[in-house]
Amino acid sequence: MAKLKLEKVTKNFGKVEVIKGVDLVAEHGEFVVFVGPSGCGKSTMLRLITGLESVTSGQILIDGQDLTHAKPSDRGVAMVFQSYALFPHLNVADNIGFGLRLAKLPKADIERRVAEVARILRVEELLDRKPRQLSGGQRQRVAIGRSIIRDPKVFLFDEPLSNLDAALRVIMRLEIARLHSRLGATMIYVTHDQTEAMTLANRIVVFNAGMIEQVGSPMQLYDRPANKFVAGFIGSPAMNFLTAMQDQPDGVGSLSVSGGTVAIGRSVNTPPSERITLGVRPEHVAIVSSEAADLIAKVEIVEELGAESLVYFQAAGSNQQVTMRTSSGVQPKPGDQVSLRFDRERIHLFGSDGRSLAK
Amino acid sequence: MADVAASGMPSREFNPWPATILVSLLCLAVLFLAPTAGVLLSSIKTTREIAFGQLWEMPDKLFLGNFAEILNNPAVHRYFLNTFLVTVPATAASIALGLLGGYVFSKLPFRGSDILFLIIVSGMFFPPQVILIPLFRLFNAVGLIDTLWPIIFVHTALGIPICTLLMRNFFSAVPNALREAAILEGANEWQVLARVALPLSLPAVAVLATLQFTWIWNDFLWPLILTNSDNKRTIMVGIVNLKGQYSVAWGVQGALSLIASLPTLIVFLFFQRYFIKGMTMGAVKG
Repeated sequence: MAKLKLEKVTKNFGKVEVIKGVDLVAEHGEFVVFVGPSGCGKSTMLRLITGLESVTSGQILIDGQDLTHAKPSDRGVAMVFQSYALFPHLNVADNIGFGLRLAKLPKADIERRVAEVARILRVEELLDRKPRQLSGGQRQRVAIGRSIIRDPKVFLFDEPLSNLDAALRVIMRLEIARLHSRLGATMIYVTHDQTEAMTLANRIVVFNAGMIEQVGSPMQLYDRPANKFVAGFIGSPAMNFLTAMQDQPDGVGSLSVSGGTVAIGRSVNTPPSERITLGVRPEHVAIVSSEAADLIAKVEIVEELGAESLVYFQAAGSNQQVTMRTSSGVQPKPGDQVSLRFDRERIHLFGSDGRSLAK
Repeated sequence: MADVAASGMPSREFNPWPATILVSLLCLAVLFLAPTAGVLLSSIKTTREIAFGQLWEMPDKLFLGNFAEILNNPAVHRYFLNTFLVTVPATAASIALGLLGGYVFSKLPFRGSDILFLIIVSGMFFPPQVILIPLFRLFNAVGLIDTLWPIIFVHTALGIPICTLLMRNFFSAVPNALREAAILEGANEWQVLARVALPLSLPAVAVLATLQFTWIWNDFLWPLILTNSDNKRTIMVGIVNLKGQYSVAWGVQGALSLIASLPTLIVFLFFQRYFIKGMTMGAVKG
């Protein structure tokens, strides 16, 4: 276990600044997940922590020790690569024990530790096989085995499940969660899969354009996004966003949106002329009678997923889309004109610059 | 029934192309094999039979005197030894240098490395005749003419471009993640090269070993220019030296030609598995 601290870390590739002053602390034994769109800098951040890329400015500290310019192998970190990066010419045992052999540990020691790791990861019967003879899940286990055998202070995972099929991804996700609770190690995990982030993380770090947008527990980010970007990025299907204008100059009361008016019953701390965005998650949208309607919309598509359904609407008189998640048996049909109401307690408002307007 | 079958069969037009291609390939095969067959036939005939112009006829009886003569000739032993002394170190050195250069150009690029790589590879396109006289004068000035050293140096240098090109391309096919994984495990660049990149590039090394060995072993020009004494000659120059004073000893030369080509054949057969793999690597996905 170790505490990882990043202080004002920046990284430039030529004139392009890809990491723009990141500050972050991952506590002992914490599972921190980096999420963000492609090219946001989350993988680069991971490579800076490993030392595979050099930091332009700032500091990386592990347990208080400044390792900003230390060699990758001296940092006490281990990484599981997206492609697994198993050595194709070595068998599983040699892959897992690669680092120990480089460190010239006694052969008996290496064999004992490889056997122990193989037992933990349930790959004992695969030790003589080459990576090409393994399935995706087995390869992933071997890659994890290679990282845990050296007993590193910090584990880094770079989208480790993205090459697996959906079913295997769920299984491996559970295995990683079990491994974390078993080892109690500090883990940094990069993914663009929100389900992975929400299920695995103690805390999620949302990256965008080389900066951290928000850090918090999964439910904090879900329920109280700091800005429109985080609100839109966390949650699947994504939060509905409707462009809105304040109806009354004092900023109290209702917002007009395409296809209707939403009485929010609270003040909005922005100039009345400012165009704001109303956000509501799909599960907080309901079909109601026309008197209680916030919005009139036409059903476009209904996706039945078994336990729940997703209904996609188009707001009347505009091309704004609204998605509703429902588990009720009563479902509209495509083409139906319906009245929608948003859960007042769950409405989010964002200013024109994207910041969340406090409730 | 037969009528029905016959009437149901579409009439197939004669397509001359497969036959034309087959005949052309056969002609080419004969053209390529004829010199080898001629050498083989001359090696098992007496000088008298050859002198009577019976080169392309099968001999009445197998004559192995030519082989016995060259195998008992101390000069031939010397030619073989000299050729090994040139070919093995020059092959090893050119591959080793190409390996190092290829690794740097592929995995550790630096400012200007692409241009440097192009300059090195362009060395392949210099005709040897252009550098023949300057090199002769250079080696003469440093007193290395009529030793095996300049032949080793020249072949090492001439081999570097192709070795660097091939190794660089092979190393580029080795995913960077493997290098990074090894570095995170504590490997330095030498260990990454020796324990990860090189084992994965053995087919390329096998291809280069086969090509370099064959080229250097079969080289005639450089040993001819850079050596004078008979005891410094390599096998290809030695074959020419074996001709008689008043007549050409076709039989003896044929026998030596066959024996001289055995090492390259053995090297090819030894590396054949890797060679084919190396030549086709990257041709198909996966």
